[in-house]
Amino acid sequence: MSEAILVSGGHVIDPANGRDEGASVLIIAGKIAAVGHVTEADARNHMIKQGAPGKVRKLDAKGLLVLPGLVDMRAHMGEPGRDSEETIAHGAEVAIHGGFTTVACMPDTEPVIDNVAAALFVRRQSEQAGFAEVVPVCALTKGREGRELAEIGQLVEAGAVAFSDEQRAENSPAAILRGMHYCAMFDRAVIEFAQDPELAGGAMNAGYESMLAGLPGIPSVAEELAVSRACMFARETGCHYHAAKVSTKNAVRALKRAKKLKVRVTAEVAVHNLMFTDEVVRARYDTNFKVFPPFRTPEDVKWLKRGLQEGVIDCLVSAHRPVPPHEKEWEFGRAPFGAVGLETALAAAWVTLVEGDVLSRSELVAKLTINPARVLRLDSRKGSLTPGHDADVCLFDPATKWTVTPDALFSHAKNSPFLGTEIKGRVKATIARGRLFEFQAVRHTS
Amino acid sequence: MPDTAARVWTRKDLLGLEELSSREILHLLDTARAFQEISTRSIKKAPALRGKVVLNLFFEPSTRTKASFSLAAQRLSADLVDVVKEASSAVKGESLVDTGRNLEAMGVDIVIIRHQQAGAPALLARNLDACVINAGDGTHEHPTQGLLDIFTMREKLGDLRGKKIALVGDITHSRVARSNIWGLQKLGAEVGLVGPKTLIPGAFKELGVAIHYHLDEVIDHYDVFNILRIQTERQQKGMFPSVREYHYLYGIDQTRVNRMKPGVLIMHPGPINRGVEISQEVADGKHSVILRQVTNGLAVRMAALVLTQSAKEAHGG
Repeated sequence: MSEAILVSGGHVIDPANGRDEGASVLIIAGKIAAVGHVTEADARNHMIKQGAPGKVRKLDAKGLLVLPGLVDMRAHMGEPGRDSEETIAHGAEVAIHGGFTTVACMPDTEPVIDNVAAALFVRRQSEQAGFAEVVPVCALTKGREGRELAEIGQLVEAGAVAFSDEQRAENSPAAILRGMHYCAMFDRAVIEFAQDPELAGGAMNAGYESMLAGLPGIPSVAEELAVSRACMFARETGCHYHAAKVSTKNAVRALKRAKKLKVRVTAEVAVHNLMFTDEVVRARYDTNFKVFPPFRTPEDVKWLKRGLQEGVIDCLVSAHRPVPPHEKEWEFGRAPFGAVGLETALAAAWVTLVEGDVLSRSELVAKLTINPARVLRLDSRKGSLTPGHDADVCLFDPATKWTVTPDALFSHAKNSPFLGTEIKGRVKATIARGRLFEFQAVRHTS
Repeated sequence: MPDTAARVWTRKDLLGLEELSSREILHLLDTARAFQEISTRSIKKAPALRGKVVLNLFFEPSTRTKASFSLAAQRLSADLVDVVKEASSAVKGESLVDTGRNLEAMGVDIVIIRHQQAGAPALLARNLDACVINAGDGTHEHPTQGLLDIFTMREKLGDLRGKKIALVGDITHSRVARSNIWGLQKLGAEVGLVGPKTLIPGAFKELGVAIHYHLDEVIDHYDVFNILRIQTERQQKGMFPSVREYHYLYGIDQTRVNRMKPGVLIMHPGPINRGVEISQEVADGKHSVILRQVTNGLAVRMAALVLTQSAKEAHGG
């Protein structure tokens, strides 16, 4: 690739490099070449130095925030198994629309991503598509059954960025403890699902609202139990435990205690769990509000925000899960869990956390870029605008308002809890490994 | 029937008592009282729903509620269709919304739905132009049962303001309890819940009801004991240790009735487990209004059918 892209006039926020200022970003051959005061002449010199003189494409980012390409460490792709809903290629393109250039896909597929062939399949589909880079989180145990360990050593070689059984049918404490011992040898995190499967069998948050709705509740203690147990296992094994999708006050408190004791633990929260509480469910029994873990109480949301603020929660995730419309038309109790989120995560998080004075801009960006990149051991090439790293850039306009309608979403599945609402902030363009995707007119100056 | 019906009642659906105002509830009960008179005629028919089609769409077994709705519809001269769906086939087959749309395409005016999933009637109501009446959805609401319970209490006690009503038994899994609580509170009654802690979520307190785990401590505090059916499958799921222990702690027998207020009403939405939550003697005793509830149910359901249908027509539906 002999083309360079020079993004200038924007405001760069790159937490890993401590940058929060007006600056230009120069991209050559799919890598970040320079960040700072870079002129077109500098760009040409860079290209000559690299022995590849060529054209410089100039992108005017005036009025836009220039962020490292976002890293989503939790999305569900239908492929393999349910690729009629969403393929890896299409999911990767949906991600680009939301500013995400790296997406970790979860292994709860059919078949389960628990072997080298399946992991390589994910990477191949991603490479052929050429949108966001989709990296596999692989199962900790074969078939996610919580019995025999998956071939973790070989899976690491094949590109596994972390290990997780997602939601297991059974509790399997022995297998998890063994898995964390074993995984600790390979410097990969174990992402443990934060819900005790036996206690978490309901349809919405357990409490006042579920009582009135007449729906079976998922008690918050199911999460506290699973998180507390995994923290103990991390302490015993030295394995890096990453808490998947925490949603409750008491889980935040358990994680805070563990971090204080220097247990190797990180955590994530799904953006939609910050935006909604369980009160929304009963009004219409709208299945687009059926997610797992469920929307909790205002008190829980307060603690999630506090957890983000204090650094107890490190990452924000989309928890993107496409569900076909006919399944979301089922009765609330029967309908599948899940919401699409890749296209709304950044804007929603920005409004609630930055404009809501929970996090600084830089703190928010870190939780969507460098922090998840570190958990996934991808920070040597992802999650920052460091020269030499992959040229992943997100051009974000935090002021543009748009209404989330089925037509406005690029995703085939439309199961968004934001449907019909106006949100503020839109990704104008995304650069993924040097490839430019524009969604709204960005001025080119040449 | 009062002609102002459509002005107070503007809902094409009856989904629950939570969303009703006390005015709407009283209006429905007054309408029911007007219909009660029909039941005393030798020809028990009124023409209000002549040419209309009423559909019973039952996804759960039911004897009395279905019979009561059927009779109510027939007394109003409606045509009646019964559809009984196996819950299991609904899982794999057609969705509820599709079923509803198909039946509506055949010209159904009112759908009476019973379903094991909370919110199923609401789902149907938002997708159909037809009226939807909830005949019990999961553990959410059973509005016509709540209304007929209240109708019966008012018949015996008059104004319910300040009256003390106890609901006894499995509150967690009871849609009847929820509808009773909403309706009774709106009419100014004081509601108490009695039962084991495993079957009364603490969150009910937030509704402003009293919760009692020991029946004998409050036995003479209440004007009405509405006794809920206890399902033995709850015992199998470990919600209480045994039927015997349940009966020992919460069973309403004559000894307990003797210690209640003199004019106490004993109610039960049925079907009764004699010897479990209520003894034979009490069920058939002089305080029991259990059969009166069944009779009143018919009038309440006639009122629900007529009010929803006329509200829909008033909206040009």
